[in-house]
This record gives sequence, C-alpha cells and structure tokens, in this order.
Amino acid sequence: MTTEVLDTLDLDRHLQSQSPLDVIKYALEQFDNIAISFSGAEDVVLIDMAMEISPHAQVLCLDTGRLHPQTYRFIDRVREFYGIDIDVLSPDAAAVQQLVKAKGLYSFYKDNHQECCGIRKIAPLRKKLLEVDAWITGQRKDQSPGTRAGIPVIQDDKVFARPDASLTKFNPLANWSSQQVWAYIRDRDIPYNELHDHGYISIGCEPCTRPVGPNQHEREGRWWWEDATKKECGLHAANGR
Amino acid sequence: MKITLVKKLLADGSPCKKCGDVLQKLEESGYMSRIDEVLVADERDPDSAGIKVAAQHNVNRAPFFVVEEDGKAPVIYTVYFKFVKEVLAQKTSETDELKEIMNDNPDLDYI
Repeated sequence: MTTEVLDTLDLDRHLQSQSPLDVIKYALEQFDNIAISFSGAEDVVLIDMAMEISPHAQVLCLDTGRLHPQTYRFIDRVREFYGIDIDVLSPDAAAVQQLVKAKGLYSFYKDNHQECCGIRKIAPLRKKLLEVDAWITGQRKDQSPGTRAGIPVIQDDKVFARPDASLTKFNPLANWSSQQVWAYIRDRDIPYNELHDHGYISIGCEPCTRPVGPNQHEREGRWWWEDATKKECGLHAANGR
Repeated sequence: MKITLVKKLLADGSPCKKCGDVLQKLEESGYMSRIDEVLVADERDPDSAGIKVAAQHNVNRAPFFVVEEDGKAPVIYTVYFKFVKEVLAQKTSETDELKEIMNDNPDLDYI
C-alpha cells in the first residue's frame, strides 16, 4: 500500500488507455484501504471485476431510503452471488427528518434534487470516505455529456479528502460506453437490476428515476424536470492543456 | 501561512457567478483579510496567473484556494466551506457544505 500523493495527472494519461479490469487491478494493488461504490445498477461490473482480483475488496452502497424495491432486492442478490459484505450506508435520520418536516417528501420537484441528494447520499458518502484512502466509482463519460465528459480515470479527490491527507478516486469505466458495460454483463452472465428489463437505463431513487424511450439519452430518465447542463465552475483553458 | 484565492473570468470576459458568491461571503464574514493574494484565471488567456497556478496544482475548477506553509506541500481547497472549516478554523453548517458540494460537482449525481 502507498500513502504517498500520486501524480494523478501523469497516471491518468497512462490509465486512460488501460482496460477497466487493469485500472481496478492497479487501484487494488496501490491501496489496501479502498472502497468500491456500488449504486445498485449496472456498476455491478466493478464488483465482478474486483472479485476476479481480490475477493476482499470493500464495497459500499448508498441507501437513500428512496430506492426501488427492485434495487434493494438486487443489492441483496449481489451480496449473495459474490458472497461479499456490502456496507449499506444510511442517511442521518435527524437530517432527513428536518428536511421532510420543512419541505415535505417531494421537495426536489419544487426546488431541485441537490438538497435531498446532499442529505441522503453525499453526507453518508463523505463520512465513509473519511475512513478510506481511495475509492472506485462506476462514473462514465457517456452517462451525461454535460457533466461527465471530462471525468478522468484517476483523480486526486479534493472534495472528500480528509484534512491533511489525500484521497484518490478511480473511475475505471470512464471510457466505456453503456453498450460495452452491457456486453460485459451479458458475456459474464452476472446479475443485474430487473428494472433494466422495464426500460430503465440509469437507476437512482424511485421518485427521480423513470424509464426512457427509444433513442432517449439515459440522462433523460433522471431529474427530467431540471436543466441538465450546468457546468460553470470548470476551468476550460486549464482543461485543454 | 500564505493563502491565495484564484478566481475566474469566463471566456466572454464576465466574472463567474460562484467566484462572486465566494468573494461576497469572504467580505461579509471578514475573512477577506486572511487572503494574501487574489489571482485571476482568465479563460481567454492561458498565460494568466490563475490559469498557471491551476495547471501547476492540477486543478480544473475555480474558485479555489492555495494554502502554503513553510516546509509543507501546498494544499488546495476547491470547496469554500471546507476551506473555512479547516484553514480558518471556523464553524460551518453541514447543509451549506453539502449544497456547495452538490452544486459544484454535478458528476456526483450518478454515484
């Protein structure tokens, strides 16, 4: 294991051309204290790949309390299929209660999803990430052209890092398309969320997820009442180097 | 300790909204006096001081803070409330922190 700060920019140039399996292998070799973030959807491929390399890889899952019953069943199926522990993280009950008391159960339809996601997903995630040195996500560039077009394979995660420590984030599927993910799932005959058989592509919380029609982008199945393109904070000149 | 704030000018020459919000918060709270230097990352000028500092520290967003202390590697803060809590040792609201993280990191939507 290394605790040194990695030169993620140089490494990203190298890892961009590597397969997701090779990226995960690299990540698990570099870090003992590393967790895979599993959303209960097609990112199950991360677990499948990691189990090929190390059956002891940590897996976390964010239970927002608003997931579909099918997703809960799928999480348990994955746990049994691979014989692994999944650290299912719950939001802070008092914070949820406060939000619901102030704004009701569907506030996200009126303002936006950020406040609810912040309480139900980001707060427990942030707390968990304080305990690890690195994490692995299923983020892909093709999930949302507006917000994910520039995601690297490896990055220095300055948002969730502990004070005076570094946190490395791996996105092994960054360069894979949805088609490649699904080819993998079918080739390997691994379990998947049954909602995918009912027109759902991207799966999150029940109130914020809907099936999409032919030729609709998966982003249209999530937070469809909001404007999807918001990316003012990027430094575009710096991105181009 | 030296604290540098890097703010951004957009490609059309206008200031970025988030940078304006952060500057306003710094002014209103009196923390602006703790900032030693403000650099501009001008998207029209790759040689602008802020763009160079961003490249040097591998930062792809603005505003951000660079905190330098003798004998230590510089520390970068891209989250305003994290900077306030960890560097200025001030109390912050978790609600405000989470809101900032969500607003500034739309890629977290699919986690």
